[in-house]
Amino acid sequence: MTEIIVVTSGKGGVGKTTTSASMACGLARRGKRVAVIDFDIGLRNLDLIMGCERRVVYDFVNVINGDCTLKQALIKDKRIETLFVLAASQTRDKDALTEEGVRKVLDELIADGFDYILCDSPAGIEKGAHLAMYFADRAVVVVNPEVSSVRDSDRILGLLSSKTHRSSNGNGGVKEHLLLTRYNPRRVASGEMMSVGDVKEILGLDVIGVVPESPDVLAASNSGVPVILNDDSDAAAAYSDAVARLLGEELPLRFLEEPKRGFFARMFGG
Amino acid sequence: MTTQRAEAAAAPAIDIRFGQVGLIQVLIWTTDPGAILDELTGRVATAPKFFQRTAVAVDVGPLGREPSVEEMRGVLEAVRRAGMAPVGLASGPAAAQALSEPLDLPLLPPFREFHPPAEALGRSARRVEPVPVDIEPEGVAAQVHTHPVRSGQRTYARGRDLVVTAMVGAGAEVIADGCVHVYGALRGRAVAGARGDTAARVFCQEFHAELVSIAGVFRVFETLPPELAGKPVQAWLDGDVLRFERLGV
Repeated sequence: MTEIIVVTSGKGGVGKTTTSASMACGLARRGKRVAVIDFDIGLRNLDLIMGCERRVVYDFVNVINGDCTLKQALIKDKRIETLFVLAASQTRDKDALTEEGVRKVLDELIADGFDYILCDSPAGIEKGAHLAMYFADRAVVVVNPEVSSVRDSDRILGLLSSKTHRSSNGNGGVKEHLLLTRYNPRRVASGEMMSVGDVKEILGLDVIGVVPESPDVLAASNSGVPVILNDDSDAAAAYSDAVARLLGEELPLRFLEEPKRGFFARMFGG
Repeated sequence: MTTQRAEAAAAPAIDIRFGQVGLIQVLIWTTDPGAILDELTGRVATAPKFFQRTAVAVDVGPLGREPSVEEMRGVLEAVRRAGMAPVGLASGPAAAQALSEPLDLPLLPPFREFHPPAEALGRSARRVEPVPVDIEPEGVAAQVHTHPVRSGQRTYARGRDLVVTAMVGAGAEVIADGCVHVYGALRGRAVAGARGDTAARVFCQEFHAELVSIAGVFRVFETLPPELAGKPVQAWLDGDVLRFERLGV
């Protein structure tokens, strides 16, 4: 049974594309057949983060318009063989997307035997974001522990529960998960930043993962290698945990405390 | 006088019924259009969807004198600019045919005194029972909302109380013609007595509201008073003043 997962947030710049890329890799690494689609028409980033920007021949809008087949547009990842990327168009805008067109592409992916289809939503609540979430079975709502991000995520949660296919056809609604990103334990301890508990209280949902603020994320974007593939990174470990929890495993949250510096590290800096 | 056979053959084009409708009354204490517009705009803002284009009867009784037609034109213009639709003048000592005709607004008699003559009710001489058009039956259960009301969402309980057994997010609106009960955190706006019931109240388990309004009297909470913040609170209207108090204790 194919599962369609939307990665959304409302607020821009909180880590949707980073999360989509890493979660897609995390699932595919476990042998699942995964397609990740960029819904940010006109401002495409997923291909950059996945490192395949120079291999985009056909895009999502081409497929919807029938300019090419889905197989021609899907880009096979060079590192993980069950992972495929469908890039967005850079020359057009969100008006090129239609509900019918999106449904057709998703149906074709389902028929092709994909286990997971990840929809990387653009920021905002307009057409691109709406279509990215409309057919979802599950949602990963990416939140920064910061007031405007939390407020926007609340709005998105409202839309997920009322403006999606599942919310209107009585099939049980979209299953919602929160993913906290850019978490900085030192600032939380000093009271500058909201804690996991604060976010849970305002949004009324448990988190599926907490990804710590990490310089590895920028390095990952620059090199086109999704951060989850960097074995030395805390952010990578957090994303792996989140994927495991998405698949039903129960794991304790890590990276909530400031890492304790060892004696030598404190003596000699570093 | 037509014969029985002719009456039976003719298909009716209309019928006249003795009906009831819910009508908001706007009471006027001054004929200053600026003051009227200011206050009405403020009231409309507390529940815009429900006041916009609402039919209202204008009651000049509180003025204590009969206003001139020119003054009334100014008053009606202000009411329309606030977004309401005046459909009549509430009759009383100050309002009379002298105002109704030039303003082209009917005089609306108080409900209890309205007795249409039998002939006016049409072919059947027997009196037609009133058909309630917009009245909800008494004692109907509250509208219950079991999921969180998220930022940007708005829920309205028409003609009854609203109960929410989850939280109300910041930027969300919970509105009822009756009382509003939130068994959770209230972080958004709560509007009770949306159609003017001054006895309506707002209750919540954890008070963080942005705005509370009862029958159009509202208070914005830029800061939360420490004795109320996060506590179980009820709000009610004491005359023209909104009162807030901790529940329980």
